[in-house]
Amino acid sequence: MHKVWALIRASWLAASSYKLGLVFSFGSLVVSVVPLYFVAGALQSTMANVIQGQGDQYFAFLVVGLISLNVVSSTLYALPGGLQNATSTGTLEALLATPTSVTALLVGLSGYEVLFSIVRGGVMLMAAAAFGAHVQWAQLGTSVPIVALVVLAHVPIAIITAAMVLAFRTRGPLPQLVLMASTFLGGVYYPTTVIPGWIESISAFIPLTYGLTALRTVLLEGRPISSVWREVSILIVFTAASLGLSAMAFRAALRYARRAGNLAQY
Amino acid sequence: MTSIPLTAHGAPRANTVVLEHLTKSFTKHRSWRSVLTGKAREFVPALTDVSCEVRAGEFFGLLGENGAGKTTLFKVLATLVTPDAGAATVGGFDVGRSPQRVREILAPVIADERSLYWRLSGRENMRLFAALHSSRGAEAARRIDELLTLVNLVEAADRPVSAYSSGMKQRLLVARTLIARPSVLLLDEPTRSLDPISARAFRRFLREDVAVAQGCTVLLATHNADEAFELCDRVGILHRGQLVAVGQTSEIAREVGENRFALWVRPADQSAIDALVARGVIRDTTAFVDEPGGWSRVECDLRDGLEGAAEAVAFLAHAGVSVARCEPVQLSLADLLERVLARHAAHA
Repeated sequence: MHKVWALIRASWLAASSYKLGLVFSFGSLVVSVVPLYFVAGALQSTMANVIQGQGDQYFAFLVVGLISLNVVSSTLYALPGGLQNATSTGTLEALLATPTSVTALLVGLSGYEVLFSIVRGGVMLMAAAAFGAHVQWAQLGTSVPIVALVVLAHVPIAIITAAMVLAFRTRGPLPQLVLMASTFLGGVYYPTTVIPGWIESISAFIPLTYGLTALRTVLLEGRPISSVWREVSILIVFTAASLGLSAMAFRAALRYARRAGNLAQY
Repeated sequence: MTSIPLTAHGAPRANTVVLEHLTKSFTKHRSWRSVLTGKAREFVPALTDVSCEVRAGEFFGLLGENGAGKTTLFKVLATLVTPDAGAATVGGFDVGRSPQRVREILAPVIADERSLYWRLSGRENMRLFAALHSSRGAEAARRIDELLTLVNLVEAADRPVSAYSSGMKQRLLVARTLIARPSVLLLDEPTRSLDPISARAFRRFLREDVAVAQGCTVLLATHNADEAFELCDRVGILHRGQLVAVGQTSEIAREVGENRFALWVRPADQSAIDALVARGVIRDTTAFVDEPGGWSRVECDLRDGLEGAAEAVAFLAHAGVSVARCEPVQLSLADLLERVLARHAAHA
């Protein structure tokens, strides 16, 4: 754990040295809430019926969806991005030569991006609340394990993508496909119940669908976590099943890269 | 705690490196055409049957032209590349079977400045790698200060690495590696980006402060003659993945260059020299180089070494050419490599 924090701290120190970039990343977040507020306000009457059970306000519904999508996007891209970055800057070879486990390296290389996206999500939520979003702040603590589960459910996809980077120097189409499916079929902008016909059934295979339902129920409706046990269980099962598979893929990629001699090659 | 294997005599051999028939080849890059036509993969040998032992506390040089296999060998030892056949052990631990143990003993000094975190200060870089080597708290802070002092970076310790000169970055790279107190250090062309004065100071630092003071076994890959001759107790010469010679630098130089002599003659009579060549007493002569006092210097291979020198001097004296001195010539690294490779080719 100490090694993981050391890597996350190094990423934070490097990122925070770009002061203007840091200011802009938060500033743009707050500013982006303004158009959301007006668009959601205009659609409130249309969406009011379909979002029942996930908060009564479309603005809050939309903000939670977008925050979650940002967290998912960061999770999917942080690990392969961290590996690519460490390879191109030349730090990967130095890191791999230390007696640090691969798991610690992977979590350390991607941890900052994921944590940063969660912090940004918190800031966006506060900005939205300032514009009148109905958030059940008492449930904030309860929503943390759900966010953690959403992140964990996407980690296997990130690991498989990282394995692609390690072995073939490309991310492949997987993260983009998952992100696109999550955006349009995961319930970010509208509940999955409004998706027509057979396409709706695809949303049952997207982890964000369950994460968003659970998060909105808890954070916007103010209901306890026991009310979303089904969604939570599905996320746990999905994570457990795919984590082992992704770990195997990563180990195979590592073996391949060591054999091919391109482990830390740009 | 790491258990260190013992030798037959019971002495720890934490810093010995043993290579046994180490072999590695890489797949040749395939063009689109080869991929689409399903052409079979081609392999390029990087290391072929390399066997060698580097002793504890030794400064061992790896010489060879570009693509000889030096970096591949280092990557195998650093557990970054898996060999196809043979074995490499560090302190008795196999690089393939116990990579974690090997990484606790051996540390490569990655000479690439890009492997530092440029946005972080020197001290922060050190702190990160201390943590990755499980060193923390006051002990880590003390070790970092000690090493920054050793590499003369205390004053610049809190400045971002991006503001460091190349020499400072190289010293930081070494300090970063030493934080783990490694028994074996791998140095891949450590002075390639340094000016001659900094390079000389850096070599002194490597010899006195790293190899001697820290008691490290050092493997050094270099193209630099000064580095090889100044630093290394023994050298190994790699050629197209094969280890073609191993021994003390002076020994190898003597072996392949023992018949190389310089003669100081007056007058510079080319016909006398040509006559000696024709008689087979000398060969591979150089042009005359003017020396003070009207003397001229010529280098040549004497057929029978010092024995042949007497014959050559007598012949020249008979031809009216005075000989002031006759000395063995110290080969340059390029000459040494060329001669070792020529001998290897002749044997092959």
